[in-house]
Amino acid sequence: MSAFVSGLGVLGPGLWDGAQALAALGQDAGLATDVRAPRVAGLSANEARRCPLVARYALDVGQQALAAAGRDAAHLATVFSSASGDLEIFDKNARALAQSPPALSPTLFHNSVHNAVAGYWGIAQGTRAASTSLSAYDESFAAGVLEALMIVDRERQALLIAYDVPPPAALAAARPITVPFAVAVLFTSEDPSGQAARVAWRFGVEGEEVTRMPGALEALRLANPAARALPFLQTLARRATRPLILPYVGGRRLVLEVSHARP
Amino acid sequence: MSRGIPISGLTLVSALGRGWAAHARALRADASGLTPEPFADGVPTLVGRVAGLDAVTLPRSLARYDCRNNRLALLALESDGFAEAVARVVRRVGPEAVGLIVGTSTSGIAATEAAYRTQAFARTHTLPADYPYRETHNVFATADFARQVLGLQGPAVAVSTACSSSAKALAAGARWLRAGVCRAVVVGGVDSLCATTLYGFRALDLLARGPVRPFSAERCGIAIGEAGGFALLTTADLAAGEACLTLAGAGESADGYHMTAPHPEGLGAYEAMAAALAAAGRGQDEIDYIALHGTGTVYNDAAEDRAIARLGLTHVPAGSNKGALGHTLGAAGLCALATLGVAMREGFVPGTVGTRARDPALSVNLVLTARPARLRVALLNTFGFGGSNCSLVVERAS
Repeated sequence: MSAFVSGLGVLGPGLWDGAQALAALGQDAGLATDVRAPRVAGLSANEARRCPLVARYALDVGQQALAAAGRDAAHLATVFSSASGDLEIFDKNARALAQSPPALSPTLFHNSVHNAVAGYWGIAQGTRAASTSLSAYDESFAAGVLEALMIVDRERQALLIAYDVPPPAALAAARPITVPFAVAVLFTSEDPSGQAARVAWRFGVEGEEVTRMPGALEALRLANPAARALPFLQTLARRATRPLILPYVGGRRLVLEVSHARP
Repeated sequence: MSRGIPISGLTLVSALGRGWAAHARALRADASGLTPEPFADGVPTLVGRVAGLDAVTLPRSLARYDCRNNRLALLALESDGFAEAVARVVRRVGPEAVGLIVGTSTSGIAATEAAYRTQAFARTHTLPADYPYRETHNVFATADFARQVLGLQGPAVAVSTACSSSAKALAAGARWLRAGVCRAVVVGGVDSLCATTLYGFRALDLLARGPVRPFSAERCGIAIGEAGGFALLTTADLAAGEACLTLAGAGESADGYHMTAPHPEGLGAYEAMAAALAAAGRGQDEIDYIALHGTGTVYNDAAEDRAIARLGLTHVPAGSNKGALGHTLGAAGLCALATLGVAMREGFVPGTVGTRARDPALSVNLVLTARPARLRVALLNTFGFGGSNCSLVVERAS
């Protein structure tokens, strides 16, 4: 089971889109720390007003990946993977529920479901293609890759969107995620360009050394579960051929064998 | 799907009771487990509450996981010999070859809702660093808990797509087995009562003030229930002789229409059902029963009815269990699977508790009260917020 990387979207500190991220991660220089505000296309004014920040990050990178690949979302299955979802909305709802009498806003309630992001994606892209929304806590990126690769096997393409954002102050100590990070990877079963990276997977050995990032980038990898994608992104940036050891559930490892055709 | 996925263990804990026998009794008798639990301001509503959760004790090593959702999961794992069935498979193939997927909508967020109501929170406006967020509140908490209770070391994930969560977890389990990621998958659906869903559905004006009446002209909303159920999916060689059901096909789609309202023509629902039938290789004349999503809201039932009519399935006996055990949200798919399993094995077709007559404006062939029947092939529907649809074709194992 393997797939090609046919499109990429990235949004995080110092990483403003897929192309810039590959350029930045291809060098050994450090990254800037500022984050571009997410941009979302395709929602009506009403839906855009209701669309929460976490969904904006996810839609931004997903739309980047589609644009990079020159594809549309009509028959494109999606895998949304987020460790902690929308804690900002949970916080607002829990505060409203702690009041007497408790009362919830209908919009905040429907935005509170883990798959609200997928709902906004379907509306923005006008697609009825299948979509799933996952969490495997800090191993959510690896779990999302595995699910997407299984879907590509049957559907010939799948878009993985992994994202998390920092929680509000009340939950910051209990759930430390300190920077926003979102990444989208369009996996396809074919590569007409002949240039795309190929990704195969296998389970690794428990306790096997995880692939880390050099220098200050290691702190960024650990600052957000979606940023566990950084070694993968750096491998794409350097067009390297190497195995990546990702942390997976229960101390296991998911090994991604990334290969690039020699120029 | 060329051949189905055997389901060799299946259990459910709901407002109707604990385990297979309790559900068989209640479903045959058209009983309802819903009870009145009015809101603090006196507004009436019914709730499908599971009895006995307060007395459930977690293993000491997993004490940090203690919350209503994980207690419900544990009660289910300890019902109908489910954990023992998993242990037998683990002994044969090893813990690395057994995966786990839990579908849940709200996980253990009730624990953090309660933490926000404490004096300590009112004072500090923050939860301490040692608050067990990961083990209770997080979407993955119940999957992580169940994985450790069962001693599994295979792949694990939580699927959270609102009311289609556990049906999609079943579809994912079938995908994992076909892909060879593991040789068996424990699939759960666990959702417990919390203030967010009770007050949230109230805010949307979707809660019934009296009985839930799916597909009736009198229908006026849902009652929220809680339930925990698990199914053991295996490769064919591991199931030998023990399978009760077969998961023959799954179909998934999105509405791409609105966050809470279904597509008025039920287009996404139609596509999910059509895809499930195609995956199972079953034609319209081969379906014996439809386990409707049938929530009992005006628009959901109408949209599902249109989708079924468009697919040419209005002749097929159909029913909803939402008036019996409530709408268990992320657990709804597992509830439908388990009640189908009971009906198929015990030889009856379940009724639609709460409904006295079908809405004449709707067209499905609604079964009102339970009656003896031999069901062989059934279609199961779940449709959730965000326009997330999943249909399954389930067959009685031969």
